[in-house]
Parts: sequence; structure tokens; C-alpha cells
Amino acid sequence: MKPPKNNKYQLFLYLISALTGAHGAGNSSNINREQPILLHDRPHDQYMPAANIIRIMRRGLPPHAKIADEAKDTVQHCVSEFINFITSEANDRCHREQRKTVTAEDLLWAMARLGFEDYIEPLTLFLNRYREMESGRTSMHGEPFVKCTVDLGLPPGPTNYGLQAWPAGQAHGVFDAHGAMMMNGMNNYYRDNHGGGSSSSGQAAALPGFDPYVQFKRSL
Amino acid sequence: MRQAGAYSGIASGGISGRTGPHSLPLARIKKIMKNSSDDVKMISGDAPIVFSKACELFIEQLTKRSWAVALQAKRRTLHKDDITSAVMATDVFDFLLNLVSDSTGTKDDGHQAIGK
Repeated sequence: MKPPKNNKYQLFLYLISALTGAHGAGNSSNINREQPILLHDRPHDQYMPAANIIRIMRRGLPPHAKIADEAKDTVQHCVSEFINFITSEANDRCHREQRKTVTAEDLLWAMARLGFEDYIEPLTLFLNRYREMESGRTSMHGEPFVKCTVDLGLPPGPTNYGLQAWPAGQAHGVFDAHGAMMMNGMNNYYRDNHGGGSSSSGQAAALPGFDPYVQFKRSL
Repeated sequence: MRQAGAYSGIASGGISGRTGPHSLPLARIKKIMKNSSDDVKMISGDAPIVFSKACELFIEQLTKRSWAVALQAKRRTLHKDDITSAVMATDVFDFLLNLVSDSTGTKDDGHQAIGK
């Protein structure tokens, strides 16, 4: 607690805090910085919500682990920086190729180029399943869990990042888009507009209980 | 038997419970993407989908590496310094160097004597 009457004392405190770098917990909008203004100075909607980030962090940690607040902030900033980093690279590619739309494939390309090759395979799987579900939703007309066995003999395409067909199993569970949904195969890569568009929310889900846009309805 | 967990990819639990496949809000992702540079004009519908998963992978990777640093120091609390150390020790996180060294506000030339 600072004695209000003593200016020298306050100056002393300021100097101490400047020397130790203790500018306040989580307060990173700063002072002696030669680098350009970074994400710390941006409003909160430039970050992913902390609750989501913390939940994901906890998945990789043992139950007893604790996370300091400033660590949460830092990860939050890092995520936005990651998005910026990848998007810029993807956007540059679009410009070079004179395209206006940054696509999912551009992002995957950028990630591979920037050292995140390990992400490509799980992302490709994820994206394909998402697309299958989208196309299944628009073309199945309410029969999402048709049991069928589909053998996809898909050749690897030049930009399929090594996609492989996997044998379909029985459809069970909300998220199994497996055999039942493989209507359009895997070459949806370049499709920007699926039926209904991916940006719309609240579509009548063909899969009961499944709503990919549930986060819009969730209050965090 | 099914192969990889449906939709969630193989690298992580992916879907948090049954609340939906995306743990991160797509609209927010799109907003951040648009602000990454002035000339990002249009973003395809499934680009944020990719990021919703990519950011999960990123967070998991960063967290695990940071936790390894904390463990080495025999701590159970993850600190910002652990994240800084992990960033410095991982090549693919080089783009974060300015961000983490800036916010620690210690040395001014980016050289941190933090790596353990």
C-alpha cells in the first residue's frame, strides 16, 4: 500500500516494478517494447474464449495439475497468434494464385509448410468426416444411420494429403458418419459451398442430437 | 470395429463429451482470421472448422510441452515461464518467441535465461 503523500515512494515503486517486469498479472500492454504492438493490446474478441482453451489444456494434464492465470492468458494469446500465423501464410498463397477465398486446403498447406506437418493427418480426417456429415445431412433425408458397408477404393489425389478410404463399420453413436455417410467420397476438398453452407447454424440435423453449431447455443 | 474416433480425428479426444464436434467457436475463429491481415477477404465455410481442430492440437501440444517443464521443476502448477521455455525449446513455436518474451518483460533482447 502506497503512502499517498510521498511521491518519492511511488516513484520508487514504479522503478522497482519496471526493473522486475512486474507490470501486473496478465497485464501485457507494455511499456518498453521495441517490437510492434502485439495481441495483448487487442480487445477480447481477438482471442478464443478462455473457458474453451482451459478445457482443452486440461485434457493434456493430470487431474491434480493447476494452471496459473497468467499461463492461461499466455496460451490464449498464443492461439490467436497461431491463427494469424497460419492464416497469413494461407492468404499469401491465395494472393499468389489470384484466389479470393482462403480455403481449408490453403490452411492445411500453410500448416504443413510452417512446420505443423503432424497436424495434417488428424485434421484431414476431421475435415473429411465433417464434410461427410454435411453432405450426408443434405442428401440422406433423415436416414442417418443406415447400416451399410461401403468400400471406397479411392485413389490418393495430389492434394488429398494421403487420404485413405477406411472400411465402414456399423453406424452407431451420434458421431459415426462412417459407412452411412460416405455419399460423396473424399473429394470434397475444393467445395466451398455445401448444401446449406457451413456457416449457417441451426439446420435441421439429420443426426439426432448432433449439432455442429451447438457452440452458438452454449453460453460460456 | 471402427477406426479412429468419429469426426474427432485420431490425435486427441477431440470432441468434448457429446456437446458437439467443435470445442472452439467458429465465429470467433473467423473474426481472428479476418484480422490477421487487412487483405483477408473471404474465408470458406470449412476453414474455421479446420482451425477449430488445429487450435485444439496446438493447445494440447503447447500445454504438454509446458507441463514437461513444470514437471522437471517438480511443480504441479503450470506457469507462464513454463510456456516460455516450451516455446523456446520447440522449433515450430518460433513464431511465438516475440509474444512470450515480450510479455515476460524480463531481458530486452529476447534472450531468456529460463530454459532449464
